[in-house]
Amino acid sequence: MDITGFLASLESSSLATGIRDSLYVFPLIESLHVVGLTMVFGTMLIVDLRLLGIASIRRPFTSITSDIMKWTWASFIWTAATGVLMFVTNANVYYHNFFFRTKIVLLALAGINVLIFELTSGRTVHRWHKDAAAPLAGRTAAILSLLLWITIIVMGRWIGFTTSQSKAPLDRDINLDDLFTPPANESGSPK
Amino acid sequence: MIRQFAEWLSQTSLSILIQTHNAWVIPTIQSIHIIAIGVVLTSVLMIDLRILGWAGHDQTLRETTDRFGPWLSWALLVLLVTGISMVIGEPVRALLSLSFWLKMFLVAVGTLIAAILQITLKSNEQHWEQTLVNRRSVRSLAILTLLIWVGIVILGRLIAYDYVWGSWSLKPTA
Repeated sequence: MDITGFLASLESSSLATGIRDSLYVFPLIESLHVVGLTMVFGTMLIVDLRLLGIASIRRPFTSITSDIMKWTWASFIWTAATGVLMFVTNANVYYHNFFFRTKIVLLALAGINVLIFELTSGRTVHRWHKDAAAPLAGRTAAILSLLLWITIIVMGRWIGFTTSQSKAPLDRDINLDDLFTPPANESGSPK
Repeated sequence: MIRQFAEWLSQTSLSILIQTHNAWVIPTIQSIHIIAIGVVLTSVLMIDLRILGWAGHDQTLRETTDRFGPWLSWALLVLLVTGISMVIGEPVRALLSLSFWLKMFLVAVGTLIAAILQITLKSNEQHWEQTLVNRRSVRSLAILTLLIWVGIVILGRLIAYDYVWGSWSLKPTA
């Protein structure tokens, strides 16, 4: 199956139509996506600031990660799952959206960044986990991580402003413009 | 009255300035707002996990609030500034949304709880460290606080979808 067919089959799946058919489900999924992504970012920020020697420096690095990383991973899975649910409702539009594509590439780079960290400073963690800051490789990974996650958030927000889709069901009997007046200069989906 | 205020605000020069550049100003402000929410949510999480005994065993509660309290305060300030900017930029969208007012109520409650914790902890450190953190009421309050902030994030996103409230929405109907 080619990609266009695949995207179309995602959009016509019962999952996607079910979400589109409800006025409430998409906004709720999007809200839960924001809860997840803010948790991913906030917990990564704590770890990255520790690597850089900026905050929590009196605690061993390993104490920080054993407290926090489980929340990061749980939040990441949560955010990815809600992201997939949003994607299938309008797969073709998201797939071709520049900001969506950039976001996916940056997510992959963030994953590679974690992998490289694990293979470099992560391997010698027992030697520096009580130091104020991580070795150069660890500090570099922290800077890259912060830049990547901030850009991922910005790209994500831009997707909402560059994809035109009624996030509510396309019911011919209901004209959404009658339900609420969008502010001037705003068009397309709710942002 | 709110409606008239929102319409007046949308005619002010600052609002018009944001509106004319809204293609990039609004998403930029929203992105900064979301980043600051991340700081607030995880700062509250870490303090509450410490109270619940699920994290930070090697830290006292005071050490935990000393670490995350300032980040919480500064991020709340960033949220206030970016939040006000968004209201000025899109007054009708925000001020005529039920989610917005529910969110503001919860923000007031959440901020009050955080302030009370910081103040009483500083004046009565021993009592907090030895007795209060183990009280069931305090632990319940920690979970409630976390739920309040999660609710704030959800309501914040729902400002864009005020029709979910149906007839409770403050948005004018045609």
